[in-house]
Amino acid sequence: MTRTDTILSLRDLSRDFGGKLAVKNVTLDIREGELFTIVGPSGSGKSTLIRMLAGLEIPSSGDILLRGKRINDVPANRRPTSMVFQSLALFNHMTVGDNIEFALTVRGEDRQKKRARARELMELVRLPADYYAKSVTRCSGGERQRVALARALASDPDILFFDEPLSAIDYRLRKILEMEMKDLNRETGKTFVYITHSLEEAMVMSDRIAVMRDGEIVQLGEPLSIYNAPASRFVAEFMGQVNLLGVEKDGHGMVLKDLTIPLGAGIAATEGTWLMLRPERLRVLPENGRADVTFDAVCFNSYLLGSRTHLHAKMDDRTFISELDAGMPPPEPGQRIRLGFDWSDAVAIHE
Amino acid sequence: MKREQKAGLVLMSPPVLLLIAGFLLPLAFVAYTSLMPPRTFGFTSNITLENYVTAVRESYWRPMAWSVFFALATTILTMLISWPIAKALVRKSRRFATIVATMIAVPVFIAETVRLFGAHLFLMPRGGILAGTINYFFGIDIGSVLFTPLATLIGLLYIYLPFALFPTVLGLSQVPADQVEAAQDLGASPWQQLRYVEVPIASPGIIIGSLLVFVLVLGATSESHMLGGQSAVPIGFAIEQRFNYAQDWPLGSALATVLCLITALLVFPLLSRLDLDRLFGR
Amino acid sequence: MQRSQRWWTVWTVCVLVLLYIPLVSVILASLANTRYLRFPHRIWTIEPYREALGLSQTYDLQMTSLKIALCVAVVSVLIAIPGALAFARYDWRGRKFYQRFLLLPVFFPQSVLGLAALVSLSAMGFDLSWRTAVFTHAVWIVPIVTLIVSIQVYGLDRAQEEAAFDLGASRLQTFFRVTFPQILPGLSSGALFAFLLSWSNLPLSAYTTGVDTTLPEWLYSRMSTNFAPMVPAVAVLSILASIVFVLVWQAGRVVVNGVMERRKQLE
Repeated sequence: MTRTDTILSLRDLSRDFGGKLAVKNVTLDIREGELFTIVGPSGSGKSTLIRMLAGLEIPSSGDILLRGKRINDVPANRRPTSMVFQSLALFNHMTVGDNIEFALTVRGEDRQKKRARARELMELVRLPADYYAKSVTRCSGGERQRVALARALASDPDILFFDEPLSAIDYRLRKILEMEMKDLNRETGKTFVYITHSLEEAMVMSDRIAVMRDGEIVQLGEPLSIYNAPASRFVAEFMGQVNLLGVEKDGHGMVLKDLTIPLGAGIAATEGTWLMLRPERLRVLPENGRADVTFDAVCFNSYLLGSRTHLHAKMDDRTFISELDAGMPPPEPGQRIRLGFDWSDAVAIHE
Repeated sequence: MKREQKAGLVLMSPPVLLLIAGFLLPLAFVAYTSLMPPRTFGFTSNITLENYVTAVRESYWRPMAWSVFFALATTILTMLISWPIAKALVRKSRRFATIVATMIAVPVFIAETVRLFGAHLFLMPRGGILAGTINYFFGIDIGSVLFTPLATLIGLLYIYLPFALFPTVLGLSQVPADQVEAAQDLGASPWQQLRYVEVPIASPGIIIGSLLVFVLVLGATSESHMLGGQSAVPIGFAIEQRFNYAQDWPLGSALATVLCLITALLVFPLLSRLDLDRLFGR
Repeated sequence: MQRSQRWWTVWTVCVLVLLYIPLVSVILASLANTRYLRFPHRIWTIEPYREALGLSQTYDLQMTSLKIALCVAVVSVLIAIPGALAFARYDWRGRKFYQRFLLLPVFFPQSVLGLAALVSLSAMGFDLSWRTAVFTHAVWIVPIVTLIVSIQVYGLDRAQEEAAFDLGASRLQTFFRVTFPQILPGLSSGALFAFLLSWSNLPLSAYTTGVDTTLPEWLYSRMSTNFAPMVPAVAVLSILASIVFVLVWQAGRVVVNGVMERRKQLE
């Protein structure tokens, strides 16, 4: 069993909600042991997709294959998979121990065995042993998260599904848990399929990412390749905080819209192409600074983001985002500045 | 989707069968009995409207009018009385609300007869609790409202106040405090806050409360029996007499059918307006 | 805001006092030995209570009422469980109609409900007794209990049922291990409501108990025709009986919860 073996295959998978397709013909291979993330805005169909994989929703057409075997008609309680729910769905009338042991209880395992397994899992997810008899309603947000994880792992499933379980957790704790999730994936060797609306969260932990929009997968790849080469304007905008420059035709050939600057050599673009420029690649130029492309703009405002400072500058009605070099004093609002970038830093996106 | 449909149909059948057997069917029997010849028992194919003619001719509209009057008066007055209490229950501390709500709810579970009997003893002339006490301390003999329509009304207010109050509390609890504060901050007078914010949002609860009181009072008999005496005979009492003393089931059934129709006319449109999921759900 | 809040409190307290005057009056009236009520009593005595307790009829009345109320409580809860799930849990065509239909008997003159039951039951040849009263009470009380349980069912977390199912539980296991424990508080208060509403009901009993007599019926006839201090004494005893029932019920809940908690800790 290596990381390239396929564990779960989706073939032309669709889900129809009374004429509205929530998921459209998704074909996808998820590999053994990887942490695979599906990311998309709300309404993109990612929740429906993962619920079909878990067996909580029935596909309208297409197939789900687990290690080559079709499991479309296998209900959730007979699939060797477990889900961590968005709300966590902990059983509030039970203790931490009862929650973790649930999958073994309904299977009729004896008490000793259940107890031993619960202890083992609590250690794995870093829950103190004396939490065993504690009511889950008396646990903090992070602890509840760990109980949900241990509960899903108890039956030793082949695949774990996560339906945005971190969305309700505050920022600081979320950052910690994201990393723990990645560690747990390594430690258990299990396949994790994770859903989130935050590309940032997906970047931190995933082996591979699929970006979903309107029920379809619009890009699939490793985090870095998606970061460096978004396949469409949608993916680029979804990352947030980037400059997107339109390309249009004028008398001489292709130019950058609004800037009326001819396209540099080496950039293949037709009308409708967009150029993506990350804020750190669009620089505020000093008096005698040089760049392939320069233009004037008016500083609108500047924002301190911890160690970095972002600047919003306007040219006509167009806003540009630029990241200031460390130590550079931000210009005053209303001050005229010169912005510039090199052609090699611009990424062409063909819609 | 299909599974839920099947589950719904299976699960609803026990209560629905009970209501068909114990509610719809009996009402059909009553309607049919009302078409039988006067003072007969059993069912024949002799269908007649005679009982309805008798009902009008023997001025049974009079008890009907009393009942409608009592129902209207009780609905309006219990609503006015319960509004400030509902406000206190919703806006004041949880502990206060629990204690007061419990104290108001407890009597609901004590037989109506016992409570009305208590009211009777309290209002009795001369040796009654009120008149006796005043006579003992001040030596004056106050009269008594007992055996007047006012006594009946007092009894109705007393018995049905909780039925107006609790739905109103339910409705009022759905009015967010900050929306009232926002209205106040934007310059609304207390009356305008009530008119534009509180009443519209609380209206489902108010509708349920008023409807409940109105309909229950329409059929109430013991209040007049124990407090008002013969001064104002409501329709429920008249029906009871047709059934028990006069042994004229067809006429009693005719009166009951008319009462049902009035109730249905009120209940159907109002009930169909309410979104019960939103009212009782989260 | 502050001033109006004080005003609401004063109003609330006044209404509360008025609400309890009749109950206090019943107690006061029961503490005399005269044939007619002449308040204040010349002699205060608990003699009527001794008399009421010595009367075997009081026990019979209490037993009839108890029998009916317990049966109604059991029947109502059994019917209300599926009824509430259909009311609030499942999304099915016809649900809105069902919800309104179920509420009709609540929004209905009770005396008409009672006489309609009388007409139909006697037409179908049933002998009227405490059993027919149970049936008629249920028609009115089942919708109320269903509503109480529904409020609990609305609060159900569907994700918890899905989680149980996902973790390998069958539909039946999911119901008994996850759904049922969550609606248990609603069932408990529903049963208590059913008992108390049946215990104190007059209009429905009056038409349908036939040969049997419940406590409220007996009180009703004795109060209007044949007053004696023993009558309010019986009324007070009936109130005490329902208070005892509520206390026993609550104590039972506390004990059951305690035992469950202890068992978990010992494990």
